[in-house]
Amino acid sequence: MEKRVKLTEQKTGFAHQTNGQGDADKKEKNLDELRDSLAARLRDGDHAAAEEFVDMYNEQIFLFMRRLGHDRQVSEDLTQESFLQAWQHISQLRNGRALNGWLYRIAGNVSRLYWRRHKGREMASIEGVGIDIPENNEAGPDIVDYYEQLSRLKKAVEYLPEKLRQAIVLHYMQHLTIAEAAEAAGVREGTFKSRLNRALETLRKLVS
Amino acid sequence: MNEEKLTKLLNDLADATSEPSRPGLSEDIKRQIPHRISPHKGGTDTVHIVINLRISKLAAAAVIIVTILLCAGLFGGREWTSDGIVDGVKDSLAWLGAGKADVLAVRSKYEDLVRQGKHVVYYGDSIAPGDKNAILMHLKLPDGKYRVVFGDGSTTILNAEKLIELHSRMLLKKTK
Repeated sequence: MEKRVKLTEQKTGFAHQTNGQGDADKKEKNLDELRDSLAARLRDGDHAAAEEFVDMYNEQIFLFMRRLGHDRQVSEDLTQESFLQAWQHISQLRNGRALNGWLYRIAGNVSRLYWRRHKGREMASIEGVGIDIPENNEAGPDIVDYYEQLSRLKKAVEYLPEKLRQAIVLHYMQHLTIAEAAEAAGVREGTFKSRLNRALETLRKLVS
Repeated sequence: MNEEKLTKLLNDLADATSEPSRPGLSEDIKRQIPHRISPHKGGTDTVHIVINLRISKLAAAAVIIVTILLCAGLFGGREWTSDGIVDGVKDSLAWLGAGKADVLAVRSKYEDLVRQGKHVVYYGDSIAPGDKNAILMHLKLPDGKYRVVFGDGSTTILNAEKLIELHSRMLLKKTK
């Protein structure tokens, strides 16, 4: 049976891939302003802003939940719960530019609470959408090697302790900046960087 | 494996582990948008904090008693002094208590009533504490009747004749 690699496009809306540093800075600034304005409208109780908020983030939060090890159904439930929590506590968001990290922090807390309540539950692997190593004859040894590494890396991420896994997911998979990811993890930037380094070190050992 | 390669692999892993959510999820979430977003205002936050406080039964009882005293102070003309409040607490414990009367508390009550110019007599020095038949204190009421406090803390309202009868019995008991 021929397995095919499916690399679906990530619909984050905040992808960091731009042509130049200047463009990236400009885009980031625009996003900050957009978040600031959205947060202000949410605090004012604007219903349309709440819908925009959902459109902007529901895919991201769903993926975040999946990458934290929840199955599809639970991820959907936890995504909904995260938005409910966000609406309830929007008045506590002082700086609208921190909306990104703030929402991820809520989502992280919702996820943590779920794991605490379901201690015996196993983490769901995200293999349904993940990596299939090509087994056809046309695939060269380099390609096979690459997908083997990718597969090992995926398993290694799943084996990471919760905090280290969250650091990797936030920064490398959800593409949050260090500042946003630190806010999401509820720690200082220095602590987050140290956590990230430990996670990378562990992954390097596991994958090599 | 160097850091650059690991970072690239992680980015690739991010793409590989992307999956779209259910098409209706977004609409499901939108349907749950509350009519009033951000219900937390200053006042309600404070109420929530109070509600969320897990106070002990003892603390709750103390809060209730202090509240009763404050209300009694407001509507009963009690002075807002620390002595008044302490006396009030003692009185309330004695008057509300189901067991033995606290003689000291009743005495305090007596002194309070005397200060208010009420016609009140205290017998605490001559009776045995806890005696349910002995009159600890009596207070003349505006309608001519008497409120009587017994040694066990129980109270009743009697007319003058009945009060005299009770006093007679007490005297007889003493002489025996």
